[in-house]
Amino acid sequence: MTTDLVAAPHKRQAHGLKRAIERFPFLPALIILVALLVLNGVYQPRSVSFVGITGLVKTYLALMLLAVAQTYVIYAGDIDLSAGAIVSLVNVTIITAMTALGGDTGAVIAGLGIGLAVGLACGVVNGIVVAALRLQAIVATFATSIFFTGLALYVMPVAGTPAPTAFWRTYGGRILDIPFVLYAVIILAVLLVVLARTKLAVRLLSVGDDQQAAYQSGLPVTRIRLQGYALCGLFAALAAFCITGDTASGDPLVGGKMTLNSVAAVVLGGTALAGGFGTVTGSVIGALIIGLIGSLVFFVGTPSEWQNLVQGVAILMALMAGILVGRRARR
Amino acid sequence: MARLVAKAVSKTYGATKALRRGDLEVEAGEVHVLIGSNGSGKSTLCKIVAGSVRPDGGQLLLEGRPMTVSGPEAARKLGIGIFYQELSLAAHRSVAENILLSDLPGGLFVNRGALNAKAQRYIDLFQGVTGDDFHADATVETLRPDQRQLVEIMKALSSEAPVLIFDEPTSALDRAQVDRFFEILRRLKDDGRSIVFISHRMDEIFALGDRVTVIRDGETVATKRIAETDPAEVIRLMVGGEETLVAAEPHQPTVVAATAKTVLAVSGLSGAGFRDVSFNVAAGEILGLGGLHGQGQSTVLRALFGAPSPTSGSVQLNGATLNPSSPRATIGRGLAYVSGDRRRDGVISGRPILENVTPIHAVKQRLALASPSALRAKAKPALEALRTKFATFNHPISSLSGGNQQKIVIARWLIDRPDVLLLDDPTKGIDLSAKTDLFQLIRKLAAEGMAIVLYSSEDAELLGNADRILVFNGGRITRELTGEQRTRFNLYQAAYEAGEAA
Repeated sequence: MTTDLVAAPHKRQAHGLKRAIERFPFLPALIILVALLVLNGVYQPRSVSFVGITGLVKTYLALMLLAVAQTYVIYAGDIDLSAGAIVSLVNVTIITAMTALGGDTGAVIAGLGIGLAVGLACGVVNGIVVAALRLQAIVATFATSIFFTGLALYVMPVAGTPAPTAFWRTYGGRILDIPFVLYAVIILAVLLVVLARTKLAVRLLSVGDDQQAAYQSGLPVTRIRLQGYALCGLFAALAAFCITGDTASGDPLVGGKMTLNSVAAVVLGGTALAGGFGTVTGSVIGALIIGLIGSLVFFVGTPSEWQNLVQGVAILMALMAGILVGRRARR
Repeated sequence: MARLVAKAVSKTYGATKALRRGDLEVEAGEVHVLIGSNGSGKSTLCKIVAGSVRPDGGQLLLEGRPMTVSGPEAARKLGIGIFYQELSLAAHRSVAENILLSDLPGGLFVNRGALNAKAQRYIDLFQGVTGDDFHADATVETLRPDQRQLVEIMKALSSEAPVLIFDEPTSALDRAQVDRFFEILRRLKDDGRSIVFISHRMDEIFALGDRVTVIRDGETVATKRIAETDPAEVIRLMVGGEETLVAAEPHQPTVVAATAKTVLAVSGLSGAGFRDVSFNVAAGEILGLGGLHGQGQSTVLRALFGAPSPTSGSVQLNGATLNPSSPRATIGRGLAYVSGDRRRDGVISGRPILENVTPIHAVKQRLALASPSALRAKAKPALEALRTKFATFNHPISSLSGGNQQKIVIARWLIDRPDVLLLDDPTKGIDLSAKTDLFQLIRKLAAEGMAIVLYSSEDAELLGNADRILVFNGGRITRELTGEQRTRFNLYQAAYEAGEAA
């Protein structure tokens, strides 16, 4: 069948860019990230040094992991507003557990195991409430977030219990002269690549694309959504490990403000909030963007009372830039 | 013994009885056609068999054993595959992923190699007719409607189920694609599969079917051997006997007097998907656009309406230049456009019928405030002209059958009469009696002096209603059929011969 030959070359060129964005939806975010790195370098040259980047990663690895956690849920068109509360609960649980078990290496490892179990349990609870009981994700996970925070406050009513030295020394330390967090980043990268190849990733995206269609196609929609929440809980636990390593103490409210940051990171990364389309890589980049905006606002010397406002405007601008680039390319 | 039996299956949604008593018996190795006007319950019956709708009553038997289908997943395991009329595709996933969605190869991980190889087997079945840019890795979102429909067909085929249900699988396909699909179905039938096939196209039904079951108002009326019946009898069973039918023979062309004034003059119109299209439409004339599916007919109509505007060429309306810059501009000048894709272009879903009849009136009259009673008074005659069946103006439009929804969409243009009515395959997926009402109205509007441009994917509708037919191919007009030339033979021939030339 012949199509319009006159319009073809122009169309193909636009198609190329469109294709690139389709395959790598995080491209606009990556451009913003590079721009922010350059700006950070201009205002504070040391911030783009090896030490500076390591510090950035150390601080924002938790948000990167939580953004990844959030992504799997958003893939399926759901949302998890309790992700931050899970981080808090895991944070106080592992510190309490590690301290109770004596604080040596064995206790730390046992504590991490318990933390993963708690994260998974929270995810499953969310999954049951949203997918099996069919409550609205946004309200139901808001409710469970209050519930999880309540549990965290029960486990550790007041912030401040220090983490075992063995734990935070490892997180902030070096192995073979390479910072531990860089190993963590490499392991995370491998993990994300592996997870992207699972059936679950494709199924989550298919459910998010059109839940009715997925159901009619014979996919076990309820189970898939539940698995998404479970995976989210596990990654929230990993995020809690990082924040515990970074702050070296327990705080029953530490994760609360991270929830919406994680959602923002996912959207910045080019993932559709409605589900069905996106990448975890984008979410990691999105988390770094939020981190870099924070440090840039600081480096430019914004007076402290203006920092929130400037940061908010900067995130809005990053969102707009990403959307404009994406829209251009799609046309 | 029949392979699949449905006995007195029923389903009620709220106050509507979607299916009162659905009976169906399908043998191994037959193509069983299910026919009935829209809203008669065919799709509901199919969805019950395929597990995506739970029945309120009745019994299903598979190979003589009673079965309960707890969901689509269970149905697939029982050996029932289905093509959904509204498609069940994930737009951002690849063709291969969609074809094998419920049965992705591999364990924990997707085996990409096996996935594409397996999907390719089904794609190869349609080799040569899939059109450009159709491959295993293509994102469904980037495909044309006919190509998406092919993906849904491949998806149903990939179930390799002994019972295959196809709910209007050919509505977007062109003739070559339909021919290939029928070849495949015949092969499957010879392998002993049971095929349930829903279609509104009589020629398809008689070309393919072994038996036909007619459903009317949610009840199975009769099952006949195709060899022992004829289209007239099937239609009589469908509509209950008395209704008038769409003329099967070409109607006498309205003698448009040489003096009749040209309302719409299109010259050298080009845009995405069509080139150098020129034609005139006189007052009182019905101009038909024909040819294979997707040859630029729809895009020309949309361009005239300004959605999106053409890239070059000129349009004269009543002697004055018309710049189709946007639908808002063309509506203001007296153009009307009705699309066959109701869900995308017509229906304002979830809103009451009244709001669905009056938006164009509101735009044209620049209504800022309006009283519902005044609007109802204006909407009523427009709806009555089409014999629209509806309970009250406050019911949501979704409470109506497809045919009645389309009538509502058409009625919204009739409150303030347009000069030119552009019809873009307006009867897609609506039942015969609604079609009859529609074409009666269209002819009446033409008789009253409206200029009408009609694109239809059904040749019978063009032959039965158009005064002249322009045959499109590859985005150009390749032939004009007037007067005695308007025969089915000429129309087929023009569409195909032009296709070979291009």
